[in-house]
Formats: sequence, structure tokens, C-alpha cells
Amino acid sequence: MTSKIGFIVNPIAGMGGRVGLKGTDGVVKKAEELGAKRVAPFKAEQAVKEFLSMHREEDVKWFTCSNIMGEEELKKAGVEDIEVVYFLKKNREETTADDTKKACKKFLEKNVDLVFFCGGDGTARDIFEVVKDKTPILGIPSGVKMHSGVFGINTSASAKMLHEFVNKRLTIGDVEILDLDEEKYRKGEWNIRIFGVAKGIIEPTYVQVGKTVFKSVSDDEIKDELSEHIADEMNMHPDYLYIFGSGGTIDYIAKKIGVENTLLGIDAVYKKKLVGKDLNEEGLLRVLDKHPKAKVILSPIGAQGFILGRGNLQLSPRVIRRIGLDNIIVVSTPSKLASTPVIRVDTGDKQLDHEFAEKEYMMVVIGYRLSRVVRIQTNNF
Amino acid sequence: MKEKTEFLEREYKELEEKGYTWVIRDLLGPSDVHVNVEGKECIMLASNNYLNLANHPKLKEAAMNAIEKYGAGAGSDWSIAGTMDIHQKLYRKIAEFKNTEDAVTFQTGFAVNAGVIPQLVGKGDILISDELNHGSIIDGVRLSKADRAIYSHSNMGELEKVLQDADKKNYRRAIILTDGVFSMDGDIAKMDEICKLAEEYGAMVYVDDAHGEGVLGDGHGIGREFDLEKKIDFQVGTFSKAFGSFGGMLAGSESLIKFAYNTARTWLLSAAFPPHVAAANIAALEVVEEEPERVKKLWDNTRYFKKEIESLGFDTGYSQTPIIPAIVGDSKKAKELAENLYREGIFALAIVFPMVARDKARIRNQMNAGMTREDLDKILSAYEKLSTKLKLV
Repeated sequence: MTSKIGFIVNPIAGMGGRVGLKGTDGVVKKAEELGAKRVAPFKAEQAVKEFLSMHREEDVKWFTCSNIMGEEELKKAGVEDIEVVYFLKKNREETTADDTKKACKKFLEKNVDLVFFCGGDGTARDIFEVVKDKTPILGIPSGVKMHSGVFGINTSASAKMLHEFVNKRLTIGDVEILDLDEEKYRKGEWNIRIFGVAKGIIEPTYVQVGKTVFKSVSDDEIKDELSEHIADEMNMHPDYLYIFGSGGTIDYIAKKIGVENTLLGIDAVYKKKLVGKDLNEEGLLRVLDKHPKAKVILSPIGAQGFILGRGNLQLSPRVIRRIGLDNIIVVSTPSKLASTPVIRVDTGDKQLDHEFAEKEYMMVVIGYRLSRVVRIQTNNF
Repeated sequence: MKEKTEFLEREYKELEEKGYTWVIRDLLGPSDVHVNVEGKECIMLASNNYLNLANHPKLKEAAMNAIEKYGAGAGSDWSIAGTMDIHQKLYRKIAEFKNTEDAVTFQTGFAVNAGVIPQLVGKGDILISDELNHGSIIDGVRLSKADRAIYSHSNMGELEKVLQDADKKNYRRAIILTDGVFSMDGDIAKMDEICKLAEEYGAMVYVDDAHGEGVLGDGHGIGREFDLEKKIDFQVGTFSKAFGSFGGMLAGSESLIKFAYNTARTWLLSAAFPPHVAAANIAALEVVEEEPERVKKLWDNTRYFKKEIESLGFDTGYSQTPIIPAIVGDSKKAKELAENLYREGIFALAIVFPMVARDKARIRNQMNAGMTREDLDKILSAYEKLSTKLKLV
């Protein structure tokens, strides 16, 4: 069966990188003045070329945008059958978030199976705003920031993921869309937040049936196991406060246990009842005053596997110290660990990061009563 | 409407589309170095018959004599009325061979792991397992009520971290489980370090030496190889690989064997294996002791083949044993190579994703003590020819 791919290039993505800007939104001119070159069109072309080398052309139907927003790159890569669904005005050198969003609306009308794009976190965010979690997203990394879980690790990896997806050997799962608030960043504030939970392309979790016969287990089945594990844990320690982190995995677990959790926020649960919703640092400290014995449940967020420091700054060094490093429970689906084989910590507090670094490894729960050792990486080394 | 058996065909098709199904080929005759595969003469490169005992005259003779004396079947479960004196003789022989207090046999090695592991632990205990352990260990671990922790393959730093973490959590019992020789890469477990860590942290050690028996420690296995026979608490093995016959075994202390007799459901609820199997197993252990040149020849072949195939440019990964992978990269290439080898009269198995990483698909070459230099050169020249033809290296 032919896969329908919506292909979109953000031609200005990544331009800020070499000139020290954290993104190109609204500052293209400045970037160009500083000598920035366009990198996304080339990367997009390379990815499509590599994909085509592994495929028959009839396996895929391409939908894209005119000129520099996809059409040119596809043509250069050698694709002949292209349906342009969104038209840019002639001779436009720059595109905006609005163009991305409008193009995605057209893709939805065409019922594409996947939005394949070249850009950065900003582009991912714009696409997600339109396609939500209805259509999976896969990115060729070409931005300045690529914290979101939709990206392959490089151009070639993204091409291979597309290839495996078209061959139905990869599956669809939850990935976080993250973004740095660019306005705040330029003012000196480092604030990466979770923008939403999208559908991405993930490695299925395989269970060996026979010697070479494997069955893939759905992500939901694994998350059910994780939920059961956490429910057991809570039953075993009924006197503890449980703080639920943010992101798709934790949200699933909380809902399964019967807690009305905040997908993108931090909640506190005591005796299986919500005692604090979408808490900020102060809120967390207050609830910890009342319940000093606490555990926090975290899951790696985004493409790089951060458990602290991306998307959950409410869990500040003060909060983490109060809870204690030994009371952190990290859960993850094996497919997420397949793409982020280390877990990262960036608390913003050197001493605390150092304490994490000294642990070297963390036990990560990957199934019911099943855990594995995963290396911790901090910014200290 | 509930689904009925239509799912069988549908799910089979899905496996087939992904290329995960087996094509079973029939051997028309014994498993030996030279085999008849559906009418085609081939050199066997995919069997576990390392010492070439499967078709050995002494094993065959012992089996035939046992049929004459005891008949074709044991008639019952081992626990009820199926244990014959020849089974008991085999247990004693295994214990002597493995230098343990006692031993017992199971239907298969799988049955040992699936039956014994869940009985050794319960809630409040932890099983610590290498990520590349055989599926039968994985299933045994899954059937238990204990917590389970996995460490990266042979990563002793990670193993120690798990043991430290387990110490903090005050488990009642901890068991480290490992294959002796890992079947995909042919590398050997770091038994000395594992036993040292186990001692330091008060854990027990469980080893499945299916691919190490007949190969390591002059054929006696990994315990003898590392001089750790008394430090490994649970020694699991099989007669179906280097020993050329059939059946699983468990060796260890007298109390372990008594415990296993009375708790392992795979032992208690299956029939004893036929007496001629026990007779062939005894003969196999005797041959290993009487013909030490077999193990030596196996290693000569291993060293020669490994050196030569590497000189052809093939990556053999971490191989340290007669399992010598030729890593070619993607799964399609590996399958293509296996098919081409077959056409050249060489029966070999392609190991592909997800058994190994996507870019580590391979042919698993398994050496045999019965192979002559001529056999090995024939295999090597086929590799040489095909590596150019298929642009492999």
C-alpha cells in the first residue's frame, strides 16, 4: 500500500545556530547579517535522496508546498510525482510559522499518513499545533534546538526511520514536543517547556516468541505494565506522597491509577487522591511540608532523554533535595530507551548535578517489576 | 462478535510479511558434518553438534542396547514411576563430570530454566539477568514473582550497580543469571568477575552453559574453565548441543537437586525421557572423557576458521568460541548470503533484526570437531566468492 507523506521544509531553520542565536523565529535578517547560511534545504534533499535509494517510487505519494518549502527539495532529490497542496507567493525567500500551519491543514485534508519535515523545535511546534496527536510527525533535524521527540538523530537516521515506517517496521507512539521560549531566552531565561504530546515514529518493543520469531508489543501494553508496577509501589508505601512528573508516559500511568493528572504539569498524589494539581515550585514545597516522605515518578522527556531540566523546571533543585535522590522512580517504555540510551539531568544546580553524576547509573522501570540499569549523564562533564 | 481462529492465518501472514517466519528444511539422514538437506548434499554450519557426537557409533550403540533392555519409553513421570536405574546412573555421571554433589535431568534445557527459576525466588527477592540471556532464562524469570533487573550485556559495572541498588532495598535473595556462552556472538560470560561480585554482595549465581559444555574447560564447561565449579550455585546444561543427544540437566548441591525434584513443575508434570536417551547421554560424557582430541580438534578448527574469515574482511564481532559470526550489516544482505551459501552446498543460518541490532545481521557459523581442513576451505572459498558477488566487505 502506498504511504501518503506530507513533506515540509522550513528553509530558514538552523540559520541561527552558527551565529549563536537560539532559533530563527523573527530574526532571519539578523542571522543573515551575521553570515548565516541556509542548511535545511540541503538536509531535506539529502534525506529524501537516501530514502529513495532504499525504496520504489510507487511506495510513497508525496504532498508538499511550493518552491523552497518542499517542492524544490523533492525535485532535486529526484521525485517526479509531487502534489503541491500549499502555494507560496512567488519569489518569497522567507517563510513563517503561518505558512507551516496552513500547509499542515492542507495535509490533513489529504489524510496523509505522516508529516515529514525538516526544521527545528519551532517547526515541530507549529506542525503539532495543527495536526495535534492525529497524524504522526517525523523530523529531519535542522534547527538550532532539537529537544522534541520527533527527530531522528541526524539526516540519515531520519531517512532510515521513514524507510522503516513505510515498511511498517516502526510503529507510532507518544513523543513530547518541547520548545524553548525564544522571547524569554533572548532575555536570558532558559525555559524549555513541554508544548504537547504528539505522535511520533518509535521502535516497537519486541518480545521473542521463537528463536527468530518476534512479536511487537504495543506501547499501551507496556504502559499498562508500568501502571501496575506503580500501583503496587503505592500500595506498598501508603504513607508516601507521590509526585507525578509530566509527559505522555506519566500521564497514562496516573490516569490508569485513577488520578486526574496534568499532562504537561506536575501533580501530587497522597493515598491515591490528588492533593496538588499543576504545582509550581512553591506549591510543591508546600505539599512537601505537609508530607515530607515523598517519591517522584519521572520519565525521559523528548529526544535526548532528560528526566530533569527539560519541561519540568518546577522540580527545582530545592524540591529534588527535599524528596531525595533515592526517592526518584524513573519509568520508561523500552522503545523510548532505544532512542535515548542515557538519561540526562540538568537541574541548573552544579552540586546536585554532581550528586547525580556520582550515581553513574539509575534503575529505570521498563515493565512490571522489571527494571534495567541506565547511565546518567549530566552537564558536569 | 468474538474473534475465532481466523486470527491464526492473519497473524501468520503478518509475521511472514515482516520476514520473521521459519523456512523449515528437512534433513534426510543424520546430523553430521556432511548432511543431506532435502536431497542436497551440504556442509552443516548451523548445528550445535560441536563435538560431532550426534551420529557417533558409541552413542548409537548405547541407545540401541538400552532399547533392547528397557524398551522404547519410560512409561511415567520421573516422580511417579518413570525413573529407571539408567536415569540414576546418568545423574551420577553428570555430577561426576560437573564435579558437583548431585545432578538431575529434565526434558530440555528450556524445561530446567522455566521450571526451576520461578521456584528459587518469590516476592521480596530479585533476579538479575544479562540482557542477552537465552529466551528460556527470560521465560523462567518472567514466571517468577521476584523483582527483575537487567544489565547491559557483560557489563560488570552495571551489574555492580544493580547489586548495590538491591542491597539498599533489602531483598531476601538475589540471583545473578547468565548464559555461559552467548549464542548470538559466541562470547564467554565473565564468570570470574560475576562470581566475585556475587560473593561480595551475597548473591547466588545461576549459569546456563548450553553452548559452553563440550567446548570450554576440556569439554566439562564453564565451571571447569574458570575453576569455579564450587562457586556456581546452579549449573544448567543440555545434552542436545555438543553432547549430541537430548535432554536438559541441572547440577549443584544435593539440597538443590532434592529441592528441584519436589518443586519444579516442568520436571514433576512431564514424563521421564526414554531410557535410550539416558544411555546415549552417558555414552556422550564417556566419549568426551575418552577422546579428548575431539575438543582439541574443535578448537583447532575454530582458530583456523576465525583467522581465515577475518582475513577475508569479515567482522566476527566478539566471538571467543566455536560460534563465529560473519557480520554483514543489514538483514536483507544476511539472508541473501545464507541463500547463496546454500546454493554452494553450505547450510548456514542468517541471524537478523530483531535478534541482533539492525546493522549487525550476520551468518552464525558454528564449528564442528568433525570438519576437516578441506571442509573449512570449501566454506571459506564460498565466502570469498560471495563476498565479491554480493559486495559484502
